[in-house]
Amino acid sequence: MKPQRKRRLTTVFLILISSAFGSFLIIKALDTNLDFFFTPSELYSQNIPDNKRIKVGGMVLEGSVKRDKTNIIFEITDYKNSITVNFNGIVPDLFQEGSGVVVLGYMNKDVILAEEVLAKHDENYMPPNLEIEK
Amino acid sequence: MKIILRAILITLPILFFTFFYLYINEDKYYPGADFRKFEMPIFKINSLYDESNISNNDLKGAYLVNVWASWCITCRVEHGFLSKLSNEGIPIIGLNYKDKKDDAISWITKFGDPYELIIHDLKGELALDMGVTGAPETFLLHNGNVIAQYRGEVNKMIWNDVFMPIIEKEEIFNND
Amino acid sequence: MLIEVAHYLSILATGLFFLCFLFAFILSAKDIFVINLVSRVYTHGFLFLLISFLIYVWLAINDNFNVLYIAQHSNTNLPTFYKISSIWSAHEGSMFLWIVFLCLWGVIFNLFTKNIQDLKAKSLGVISFVAVGFLLFLLLTSNPFLTILPIAPENGADINPVLQDPALAIHPPILYLGYVGFVIAFAHAIAFLVNGDPSIKWESLVRTWSISSWSLLTVGIALGSWWAYYELGWGGYWFWDPVENVALMPWLAATAFVHSLSVSIKSSLLRIWTILLSIIVFSLSLFGAFIVRSGIIDSVHSFANDPERGLYLLGFIAILIVISTILFSFRLSILASKRNIASFSKESFISINNIIFGTLIFSTMLGVLYPLIYEYLYDQKISVGAPFYNAIFIPLTLIAGIFLFFSIDSKWQRSVKIINFLSPMSASLLIAGASLFLINYFLAINDYSILLSVFVGILILVRYMFVIYEYLFKRKYSNPYSIIAHLGLSILIISIAFNSEFSSERALNIRMNESDTYRGYDIKFDDLRLEKSSNYDAVIASFILNGSDGRNFILKPEKRKYFARGQITTETAIKISPLKDIYMTIGDQLDDGSWIVNIQLNYFIRWIWFSAIMMAFAGLMLAYSLVRGKR
Repeated sequence: MKPQRKRRLTTVFLILISSAFGSFLIIKALDTNLDFFFTPSELYSQNIPDNKRIKVGGMVLEGSVKRDKTNIIFEITDYKNSITVNFNGIVPDLFQEGSGVVVLGYMNKDVILAEEVLAKHDENYMPPNLEIEK
Repeated sequence: MKIILRAILITLPILFFTFFYLYINEDKYYPGADFRKFEMPIFKINSLYDESNISNNDLKGAYLVNVWASWCITCRVEHGFLSKLSNEGIPIIGLNYKDKKDDAISWITKFGDPYELIIHDLKGELALDMGVTGAPETFLLHNGNVIAQYRGEVNKMIWNDVFMPIIEKEEIFNND
Repeated sequence: MLIEVAHYLSILATGLFFLCFLFAFILSAKDIFVINLVSRVYTHGFLFLLISFLIYVWLAINDNFNVLYIAQHSNTNLPTFYKISSIWSAHEGSMFLWIVFLCLWGVIFNLFTKNIQDLKAKSLGVISFVAVGFLLFLLLTSNPFLTILPIAPENGADINPVLQDPALAIHPPILYLGYVGFVIAFAHAIAFLVNGDPSIKWESLVRTWSISSWSLLTVGIALGSWWAYYELGWGGYWFWDPVENVALMPWLAATAFVHSLSVSIKSSLLRIWTILLSIIVFSLSLFGAFIVRSGIIDSVHSFANDPERGLYLLGFIAILIVISTILFSFRLSILASKRNIASFSKESFISINNIIFGTLIFSTMLGVLYPLIYEYLYDQKISVGAPFYNAIFIPLTLIAGIFLFFSIDSKWQRSVKIINFLSPMSASLLIAGASLFLINYFLAINDYSILLSVFVGILILVRYMFVIYEYLFKRKYSNPYSIIAHLGLSILIISIAFNSEFSSERALNIRMNESDTYRGYDIKFDDLRLEKSSNYDAVIASFILNGSDGRNFILKPEKRKYFARGQITTETAIKISPLKDIYMTIGDQLDDGSWIVNIQLNYFIRWIWFSAIMMAFAGLMLAYSLVRGKR
């Protein structure tokens, strides 16, 4: 029985070591690759380094959307504070002034340079019928 | 050794599920909710039932203003919960939004009327002033000010998580 | 009227399934009379449920908008096909379909298995228990049979136009079939543990079922990826979205499970792993249902929020899993194998494969859970993006690939010397190394992870080419299904690597009749038309692309505005060739009249789905051969 027992102990030991090492690597990978989510107000109250990838969610401020060629500049608001976003590319179909939006990007001098713009859509919220509008 | 293994095996899933239980019961952030306070716009619009006018004078005190329309299927879903609120003594004003009068009346006669008054906002003028962009939307009105607004279906969860905290804080609806 | 009948029938089915569960676990399951009884009650329960579902489909086809759910999710103008698929376009109906599929697997198992099979009664009992739990969930918290009598809306609503798509209409059913198919393996594992007789070979009883479910799950995930690629307009095939991750976890576990099964069948080794994996696969499928349906994670795919649903599902899944683990932990002794695994045997490689897959599942789970834990503890929202998953999946998949390469020369149950210099192995290493050198020389790839991936992919590919050669010309037997599936894996690795290296995109600002160039293509904005269709207005742009090779073609990306919801959708235009896709979408028109247009070159993207189809095909063929072999 003894050699078997010894063998078993080594196996358990190896499993423990490798899983500890694996967990360490995973946690490290996790820690360096987190995207923090902020509302515009939280952005004002916290200091965010330029190289930190962040997500910002809120509404597209009415009347703030400006376009210049493939660039689009708009403001995200939580109705307390707003922040300017600069994005190069096509915004999603559901992107509208006054609708919900989430952007992923980097802070640069109080402007977010966005890599991705995602629009949020609520299935149960309906726009009015167009035919009645005359 | 065996007992330890057994304990770990059984505790892990229990921990896992306890966490989710705690998480579900946490407060959440609702994107449809908005707590910017603004003054109720001045208006004077026909009632749905007759030619009489409804204006700001009719809305003194605390009310829930619910924007609905017969073309809005979600309003139908929401209707059951509103009836329950109304039975519990919460006064609700209906704001019928961009809807034909006949459609709206037949809708309300078929499903029941949880509203104390219904404003027939055919062109969406008042709704525009209040910042309505679709239906359903629900406003909490207190002493001439809108103090809370929710875009989308109000159900038990939204009521408890979005409206109840502010209702309790401002001590609204206490006298009835 | 009919809807009440359907409602009543599904309540009846719930009752029968409950009886079936009671009979299976209270009466002596060795008695052939009891087994016959359980089997019959189950079949009748399923029959009632099926009729109930068919009535529901019939009502949806005939626009019966008295049914609230149908009124909310279907429309008279929809083609019949989409009227049917509207049933699974939202929570209640898709849950209904999910349960019908769950019971369908059970009934197929019931009809095609002889009543003398040792674990049959208890397995049916477990399946019935799961079915009862979910039927109660359906009827109590998300009833699809609710009506809106007396007046019904004339035209219904409209299903989300993004969801009106053939791939999306068939994607959920196939995915659900895959998910719930593992209930057979799970039920047998539980029945085996309850029974406690280690001489029963439960592994061979569930092999066919598990492999077919695995294949369906593979197809389901690939279809979802394909749909997201052409419909959402982002041009990616995988987004590491939480909902995608909860579909990936059961797939990873299932892959480990089917590998582990083949070991347990041959030599009863790895039994503990196999049982544990069967429980994990099904638990992860249920966990996926919980995540998607409780609304605790924001996602493009998730259904609406309702805490009661979440709590019910959580409670039921917790009961199932906790009971399973308690049972498992108290039966560990009957599972233990007396023998040790020989090093460098096939079993040892499959154990390593299990460990790697376990790590992948653990990391994916962590990626899904960590934001929730973080938010709970610190009240701060975070998300885990693609970089994390890439950091974990790329190295681990490559390690798994290298072990796969060495495992080809290994033998069952004994250790053989696998390092041999004059063998296909060293030849493959040489060929893969040489082709890597050529690729690096001609294509100038500098990214080491890409180079390494391509190397591992080619290594596996070449090694299997030798295996095929020996199989065909030297009559040396190898498992043909394994060859096809693993060739699929090598193609997957290579195509993902090339895709991420070469693909590129650019947004263009272009006016009518003007031209621009991108990566050797002359792009001319030729035409813009407005077109009216029965349920939407469309803006269709037309671009003439001239390649540097002199070939030209037209791409017509489109934007639609649907009447029913006023929703705007983008229809991509894709020029498909074996090597790459040219992918165009149009955005908004600017005030000066010019348009924003996006063009992408997506390399090897077709090969990614093709490799998934290869794996699924291998699985289905294996399942077919097992069924034929039995008769």
